[in-house]
Order: sequence, then C-alpha cells, then structure tokens
Amino acid sequence: MADSMIKLEELTKVYEGTEEPAVADLSMDVPEGEIVVLVGPSGCGKTTTMKMINRVIEPTSGRIFLEGEDVTSTNPDLLRRRIGYVIQQIGLFPHMSIRDNVATVPRLLDWDEHKIDDRVDELLELVGMDPGRFRGRYPRELSGGQRQRIGVIRALAADPPVMLMDEPFGAIDPITRERLQNEFLRLQADIKKTIVFVTHDIDEAIKMGDRIAILQDQSIIAQFDTPEEILTNPASQFVSDFVGSGAALKRMNLTRVGEVTLKDWPTARSDEKRDTLRNRLDDAEQDQLLLLDDDGRPRRWLHAQDLRTDDELTSVGEEVHGVISANSTIADALDQMLRSHYGTAVVVDDDDRYTGAVDMAVVLAAAEAMGQSAGADAQHRLADADVETTDEEQVSG
Amino acid sequence: MAAFWNYLSSNFDTLAEHAWGHFYVVALGLTLSSIIGISLGMLSYRNPTARAASLNTSAIILTIPSLALFAIMLTLPPPIGGLGARPVIAGLALYGLLPIVRNTIVGLNEVDQAIVESALGMGMGRRERLFRIEAPLAWPVIVTGIRVSGLLMVAIATIGSIVNGPGFGQMLLSALARIGSATATPQALVGTLGVIVFGICLDGLFRLLVHYTTPRGIRG
Ligand SMILES: Nc1ncnc2c1ncn2[C@@H]1O[C@H](COP(=O)(O)OP(=O)(O)OP(=O)(O)O)[C@@H](O)[C@H]1O
Ligand SMILES: [Mg+2]
Repeated sequence: MADSMIKLEELTKVYEGTEEPAVADLSMDVPEGEIVVLVGPSGCGKTTTMKMINRVIEPTSGRIFLEGEDVTSTNPDLLRRRIGYVIQQIGLFPHMSIRDNVATVPRLLDWDEHKIDDRVDELLELVGMDPGRFRGRYPRELSGGQRQRIGVIRALAADPPVMLMDEPFGAIDPITRERLQNEFLRLQADIKKTIVFVTHDIDEAIKMGDRIAILQDQSIIAQFDTPEEILTNPASQFVSDFVGSGAALKRMNLTRVGEVTLKDWPTARSDEKRDTLRNRLDDAEQDQLLLLDDDGRPRRWLHAQDLRTDDELTSVGEEVHGVISANSTIADALDQMLRSHYGTAVVVDDDDRYTGAVDMAVVLAAAEAMGQSAGADAQHRLADADVETTDEEQVSG
Repeated sequence: MAAFWNYLSSNFDTLAEHAWGHFYVVALGLTLSSIIGISLGMLSYRNPTARAASLNTSAIILTIPSLALFAIMLTLPPPIGGLGARPVIAGLALYGLLPIVRNTIVGLNEVDQAIVESALGMGMGRRERLFRIEAPLAWPVIVTGIRVSGLLMVAIATIGSIVNGPGFGQMLLSALARIGSATATPQALVGTLGVIVFGICLDGLFRLLVHYTTPRGIRG
C-alpha cells in the first residue's frame, strides 16, 4: 500500500439539534493514487464523512490529515483549493461560460489568464469535448452527460492531488453513466489522483473502487477492503446482506474458468465403433457424448438414440453451442450453460480444442472455493437457477 | 375634450418641468432605496433574526400613511426635513425599501444550494460567493423588486407636493385648490395622465434593464 494521502482520525460529527452522531469515531487511511469508495445504505453518513474531508461540514471532533499535514483547523478556503470537489447535482455556475466554470479554482489561485486558457482547452480535450465548440457555451446549452464531464474537469482544473466525488454519476441514465464511469477510469489510469468516491450502488463501488469501505449507520466501517475480498470474504452478515442478492453472481465475475477444476466429459471420434461408443455412454454418468473432430474440436452432442442409427455421426445429435475459454469468467460460463440445452459449457483452448467442461457441479465447487458463507449463498441461488434450466429444457425438448 | 388639448398646448413648458421634477425625486429616491435596500438584504439574508428585523422594519415604514410621513419630514432638521425635493426623496427612499429588501433576501436565498455548495467546496470565500455567484444569480429577482419599488414611488411622489416637492403632484394640488374653475379639471386630468405615462415608461425601462443586465446563461 502506498503512503496515505488522506488520514482521518476518530472523526465525529454531531449535527446541531441531534443527539446521535451522524458519523462516529471514524478512522481511515486513503492511500495515494487510489479510488476509495464509501458505500452504504442511505443515511449511514457517507456524504457527511466525505464533506468533512474538505470541511464543507466541520467535524465535531477528530482530526484530518492531508499529505501528512494536519488540516483540521487550517484556513478552509485554502484547503478546499487543494481538493477537487464533484457533487451529484454538479452545481455548475449557470451564469458563467464553460471556460469560466472550469477556470474557477485557477482564478482563485491567481493563475495568469493565458495559462488558464491553455488549461481549459487541455481539460476539454481530455474528456473529448471540442474546446472551440464548448468553451464559450453556458451550462444549460449542454447535455446531462456533458455537464457531468465539465463538473469533473472543473474539479481537476488546478490539478489537485485529491478529489472528492459524491455520487458523481448518480443522476444520469444508465447508458451514459456506464460510459462516464469507463471514461473516468481511463482518465484515472493516467492522472492517478487520490479519490474518495461516494455511492450507494454496490455495483458501482465494485467497478470503480480500488478499495471499498462498506459503512454501517454512523459511518461505522463494516469492511474496508478490495472488491475481491469484500465479495469473497464478507466480514459480517451486514456486508453480505449489503452486497446483496447479486453477490454470488458478482463473485462469478472475479474467477476465471482457467482457475477451476474442469469436468471431464466422455468424448467420441467419428471413426469409433458404435458399440464402443454405446458402452462408453452406458458407463458414463452423463446422458450425451461429446463428438470431437480430427483436430479435437467439439462438434456435436450425441445421445443414446443417435448411436442406434447408422447415419454419419457428424449429421446426428445436436450442434455444440456455448463454447468458452480459460479466460472466460465463471459468470460467462454460467451464461453459456443457461443457454445450452444440457446445462454445460464446453471449454476450449486457443486452437479451439476441447479441454474440459463446466457444469453446475463445477460452478458450485468454484463458488465454494470463493468463500465459506458466500459459497452457501451461491449454492442456494444456483440451485434455483438449476431448476429454471430444467424447466426450460422441458419446454424446449 | 377641447379644454384638455387647450390646456396641454398652452402649459407644455410647465408640464415638462413637472415631468422633470417627478423624474428627479423618483430617480434619486430609487437610487437611495436600492443602495440601502440591497445592502440590508445582503447583510441579513442568512440570519433568520436579522432577516425578520429588516423585513418587518421596511414593512412597517410602508404602512405609515404617506401624508403623515411627509408631515413628519417637514418637522425634521434641514438635510432631510423642511420643504422641497429633499424630504420627498428621503420619504420615497424609505417607502421603496420593502420590495427591494424582500426581493434581495428572497433572490439570494433562492439560489440553488448545490451551486452555492460547489462554490464553497472549491474554496470561494464568503464575499466571492456573494458577489460572483449568489448576487448575479439573484439579480433578476432583485431588479424586479427595484421596478416594483419605482412604480410605488411614481404614485407616492405626487403626495410629496404637500411639502412642496416637485412633480405632477403640484398640478393636482393646484387643481384641487381651484376646483370649479374652468382649467381645474383639465389640469387634474393632465397631471394624472402624466403620472400614468411616467409609470408606464419607467416600467418599460426596467423590463429592458432586467433583460440586458441578466447574465446570458440565465436569461429567460
Ligand atoms: N444538516 C443536517 N442536520 C441534521 N442531520 C443531518 C444533516 N445532514 C445529514 N443529517 C443526518 O445525518 C445522517 C447521515 O447523513 P448523510 O447525508 O451523511 O447520509 P448518506 O450516507 O450520504 O445518505 P444518502 O445515501 O441518502 O445520501 C442522516 O441520518 C441524516 O439525516
Ligand atoms: Mg449522500
């Protein structure tokens, strides 16, 4: 872990006129260059926590360190100019041009106007907006997604080491949100800011976070870990509940097919005798043989009745769908399994040669390996999924 | 009707003089009222107690009958009191406070909190926030207050003639004094119309002002 850029020490906030603290005794280190996501149920204190970092909300007690310096009681305006700030409503200044909006902090820092112009154009280009077209526009002349981009580059204008982002992609449609998230992650790969990112959406947290802090009421940290750890080893019932119904499936995105033990499926070659094949199928627990071509590539599924005919094996049975590779995730495998008639996904190597198969048992074993309590959760859900597949089979068969 | 046109053509010079006098007291009264009213609003808009105090004070002033206010002005010592334009200007400035104070307070408080917060979060100080963000955004509302106040003053300025203030009120007073004489009615009519036309012109002027002083990004 890199040095901590932001250090919070026993931060507490009790709002005036309330008894219970909104944030109680929170201590946390945010490592340099990472995105730390604060996520938790509504009202748990995420926003309050984030706003205490730039002291838009003054803490009742506790201390805040920025780059090792105690900033708990320094001049708040000077502190804020060192911290980029993006809020959900964006808060662009409607009476100012895009240029003037982006120039806000550089102006406060007394940059000269030439330098500001260059910086504004550079930032607009960074988010794919043509400076010539957009520099002179007003916020109301932009789309929601464009406004959001301006909100982000306005916060980046004076190149602050730290950014605070409160549900920055909260108020936009899912497609634009996805695009902005990806765009931001690409940007972050270059600029490597230290970012505190607030969301109530666990999927967004998993996607954006290098590290996720799952917060309980009063910003009590339920778990502060990488997304992988949170998905595979939730620290408490609260965390697994919060990660929620999709947890098992989300975890499926973290494991690749190459990492699990595959199932050996009984195979067949077109030049083999019918009797041999029939015996092989009788001995197998499976109800089909997998026909491979001369190069070992999977071709068809063969049933017992297919083996009773004298037709060419390549023209009987059913075509193989749902081929995956070692790089596919377990989620991809599951997806293919649910589409194929036999609840099985065939795994091939780089030359498309059969290497094994993934079926429910394999997925369940993988889920088991991903974590104890999590595994039980997954079995439950996968058992349900299994039932659904069976239904489908009956309908289509 | 002929009497009216007759009166108008033969008294055109005095009419112009009264129009100028009316303009003079209203313009100065409004300027003073705007300066005081906007300042009061800006000083008090954040604090509920201060807000209530400035709103109530300017509201109470407006409830004093204008006749009484000008009579009080008469008794005050020279810079303000006495006879002539000065007590009228002072009186108008006081009467005009409420719409300006109220609209300043409402306008500043109505500015989207997300905008103010993002200004705060970027490190703008209190003064920068007020003058670079809140005031420009509240401006259309504030000018509307000044406009209402101006129209109020156009009407009240006529009463100012009882302390010998300039304006169309002079014509109305003299017409009242000579009621029954041939020129009394045309004179009263011309004076009244003068006030109305003056008010309409002022209103139009303010609509233009609102439009051209509102930042392009928020112009309706
Ligand atoms: N200005 C305030 N005065 C009093 N209580 C407040 C104030 N702001 C927030 N609270 C309370 O503090 C708690 C934490 O609020 P906060 O806004 O930090 O939650 P959050 O986690 O950001 O929630 P959300 O996901 O809904 O945005 C809540 O119970 C809220 O009601
Ligand atoms: Mg919040």
